[in-house]
Amino acid sequence: MNKIFAVAKWEYLEKVKTKTFIISLILTPAIIIGFALAPTFLSGQSENSTKAIGIIDTSGLFINGVKDGLETYRIKNNQPTYLLINLTSRTQDQNELKSSADSAVISGQLDGYLLINYGGTDSVSVEYLSKNIGNYKDINNFDNTFNKVQLEIKLNEENINPKIAKYLSEKTEIKPKIIDGKGKESKPDFLTVFFTSFIFIILLMMMILSSGGMLIRNLVEEKSNRLIEILVSSCSPNQLLTGKVLGLSSLGLTQVIIWGVIGFALAGTSTIPGNAFNNIIPILIYFVLGFVFYTAIFVGIGSIVTTEQEAQQITSYLSLTLVLPIAISVPAIEHPDSLFVHILSYIPFTIPSIMILRFNIETIPFSEILVTLIIMIVSIYLAIVGSSKIFRIGILSYGKRPSIKELINWIRE
Amino acid sequence: MLKVENLTKEFKGVTAVKDLSFSVEQGKIFGLLGPNGAGKTTTIRTIINVIKPTTGKIYFDDKPLTESFFNQVGYLPEERGLYKKSKVVDVILYLAEIKGMTIPDAKNKAQSWLRKFEIEHYRNKKIEELSKGNQQKVQFISAIIHEPKLLILDEPFSGFDPINQQFIKELILSLAKSGKIIILSTHQMETAERLCTDILLINKGLEICSGLLPNVKKTFGSNLIKIEYSGDGSFLNSLPEVKHIDNYSNYAEIQLEDNIYPHDFLRKIVPVIDIKYFSVIEPSLNKIFIDLIKQSPN
Repeated sequence: MNKIFAVAKWEYLEKVKTKTFIISLILTPAIIIGFALAPTFLSGQSENSTKAIGIIDTSGLFINGVKDGLETYRIKNNQPTYLLINLTSRTQDQNELKSSADSAVISGQLDGYLLINYGGTDSVSVEYLSKNIGNYKDINNFDNTFNKVQLEIKLNEENINPKIAKYLSEKTEIKPKIIDGKGKESKPDFLTVFFTSFIFIILLMMMILSSGGMLIRNLVEEKSNRLIEILVSSCSPNQLLTGKVLGLSSLGLTQVIIWGVIGFALAGTSTIPGNAFNNIIPILIYFVLGFVFYTAIFVGIGSIVTTEQEAQQITSYLSLTLVLPIAISVPAIEHPDSLFVHILSYIPFTIPSIMILRFNIETIPFSEILVTLIIMIVSIYLAIVGSSKIFRIGILSYGKRPSIKELINWIRE
Repeated sequence: MLKVENLTKEFKGVTAVKDLSFSVEQGKIFGLLGPNGAGKTTTIRTIINVIKPTTGKIYFDDKPLTESFFNQVGYLPEERGLYKKSKVVDVILYLAEIKGMTIPDAKNKAQSWLRKFEIEHYRNKKIEELSKGNQQKVQFISAIIHEPKLLILDEPFSGFDPINQQFIKELILSLAKSGKIIILSTHQMETAERLCTDILLINKGLEICSGLLPNVKKTFGSNLIKIEYSGDGSFLNSLPEVKHIDNYSNYAEIQLEDNIYPHDFLRKIVPVIDIKYFSVIEPSLNKIFIDLIKQSPN
């Protein structure tokens, strides 16, 4: 037992000090958060300050309605989203107004301006002019506001009861929600699914790849300089294997804890939605099981590798099984009840990521959770037993890589 | 005592070692000799429990090998190498710890061995920053730090300069004196000749010859002596102990009859002539090795 801990401690301490580990520790979440937030940041950035929007409406019909309507939008600290500036002047014609507005936009005095061309009852067009295509949210707001105002004006003209007019101009949005077994409701949006599912699957993949890669490189080193013989003449192959898996798992756990702390620190802020951690416990269970399962397999496969090149080859084959769940995640979100997704929920290689994904898009029956957990635990046990048999022989065989047939013989021995 | 009985190891139909038996007592240095591919490493790996013999038994202190035996073995493999990116002291402590040493004990011993090997100042350096010779020293320390009862050294001198080779030789002798069982595998016959008390010569997995080194030499020697003398040496030509003689005026090379011991012969002639120089001409281990390997059937 002491020897297992000695091996685990060595594997842990020697790797936790490496530059590779420290870099991946910081870089991985940075990349993930970067990817997740880049679009939000790009589109949401300007919402931190009030935008100056000019408006030209030579007809004078819409300007007040649009101004009032747009000034009801608010950004975070209850500041108005838009500050509407009336650029219409009776002394200038539309072309003159336009050119002075253009120069105001170019000089940065205005973020953009709305140009309302009214050519009689049924001919009205609105343009929004700014330096770039414009934030889709802004356009959406302008669109809604203008159409509402236009509708109100029309209904007014037709002498419709103001109450009915108001009713007609109201829009109802449909909000998707999921109900869990306890009758609790939650609102999924892309960010939630992303932070709860994708991020865990990607983290799982990166962790398995980085620690599995480390493990294989390490075994190749030990084999090439015959350290493995000193190790195996000091403790049994099983102790060595258990120690290595334990050390690496603690390494993985360290990563998860540090990433978790970052995650919790950001949770509830605008970066990570507050409900991202609703299913954290089952997700973490699948995460840990998946990590241990893959690590056990890596140890077995790593032991038959003798060169760095082979190590890279094998790591890339194994990573394919990890990438698969990410590749199918979009169809899985669209059709969580499809047969394909259900089948993948019972294959040990894909159980962790598929279950992590499914937890956030639907309510999974308890029986299914139980069955998948049992499959995972049994698979881990089998992976460890099989790996340790391959390991015992593999670590001492140099030169030619064994064939599948030989490997099966090793496991049977 | 280490006892190997009828050890045979086969790999996929190829016999690496066949029916090998030997034993090594405490305080002895046992030379495991043989050409490349003779089966030395396979024999060593079987002893240290890295591979299982196909047939045959190995006993240590009359008990079959178990896991508790791990802590009593020190092994210096022929192909050296340690964790390049790790610190000298960390590597020594790790290898000591999996040999069952406690950390404080290992720390003390590591410190004193580093001092003895004069590499104390490299303690916190990375292995890769050390010269090859100094890396070898670290590996040697790792093999002996836990005071193993059985020490297996595969080519322990390779990579050392003459000064350090001398140091290692003395260290091996003092370890033997302190009661350890030492198995030395080497191609350097001169070294083996000077250090080993017993030898086992194997080729193609088979025993070629074995036993106490002087007996082996006697077996393969031709009982040849060389003397320098003054006085009348003509009587030597007619002595019954003499099988063949080349006698010059004050120098002779004499081949004795097989049952005659050179020192008995010396005692007999000392009263008659004045002996200035006497030596027994023994075949070197190197010669025995080469002759035997050439003779052995393919």
